[in-house]
Amino acid sequence: MSRALIDDYLAGLYGRLPADLADEAAGGLAEAFERQLAAGSAEAAAAKAALAEFGDLDVVVAEYTRQAPGRRAARLLLATGPVAGSCWAAALIVSRAWTWPVPPAVRLGFGALLLLAVLALTVAATSRRDYRRTRLAAAASPVILALDAAAAAGVLLAAPALTWLLAMAMAVSLSRIALIAWTLPRLALR
Amino acid sequence: MKPEAQALKGHLDTLLLASLEAGPRHGYAVREALRAASRERFDLPTGTIYPALRRLEAAGLVKGTWSEAGGRRRRTYQLTHAGRRRLAGDRAAWRDFASVVTAILEPAP
Repeated sequence: MSRALIDDYLAGLYGRLPADLADEAAGGLAEAFERQLAAGSAEAAAAKAALAEFGDLDVVVAEYTRQAPGRRAARLLLATGPVAGSCWAAALIVSRAWTWPVPPAVRLGFGALLLLAVLALTVAATSRRDYRRTRLAAAASPVILALDAAAAAGVLLAAPALTWLLAMAMAVSLSRIALIAWTLPRLALR
Repeated sequence: MKPEAQALKGHLDTLLLASLEAGPRHGYAVREALRAASRERFDLPTGTIYPALRRLEAAGLVKGTWSEAGGRRRRTYQLTHAGRRRLAGDRAAWRDFASVVTAILEPAP
């Protein structure tokens, strides 16, 4: 009965957190439980005391979620998004990009992917209690990276002339690619 | 949450860094050290110490390594150079702040 309380909590930790984080927290809970037992508590009382000392599962998971690397990466990308977006918008309008030889399917695909990636990043960035949601950032950031690279490649392939606005938009995209490449290894881990 | 625990939260990072100053510790030992050093006044939920340590690690202030002892895997944390610098800065800022508040609350006769 009493072990069941601990086991439920552990199942919650492992179900809601990456294994590496859950392992560490589970070790702490086991240590608290054993100390209570060693101090002479009966099993049921020891389990109760250990859980009270450890804190509510929702609170613990929320703390992990708040500082999840995916959540922070998603926030960073969303914060820099408007800068990159307005640079590109200005550059493409001034260069009359609608006259460029880019197939409609490519334009549509680009837009749809961008929308999906931004949506996924928003879900990751706004997560408060659900750690798994922050992992969407690991899926969405490579898409953003690919879109930035595709936009820069598109300019080189399709733009009739390289204006300084286009060059600036490409520079913004290149720095975002560098930023994503730098954060991605940490996101992939959890 | 008790008002004291709320106030404590703002200083949690500094207190965690301070508890690692004497040498590497794992999460549970950090909690025990805080509890003992505060004469049992600061009894944080153990479960919130671990995410805080991970946050400090992501910020480069501590470094965690897995080790195995007595059949249990534990993650031990130690201060990095940046962590020591931060702790020194926080400590100086706290002394300054505390001396000002004390001067106001307990004016010299």
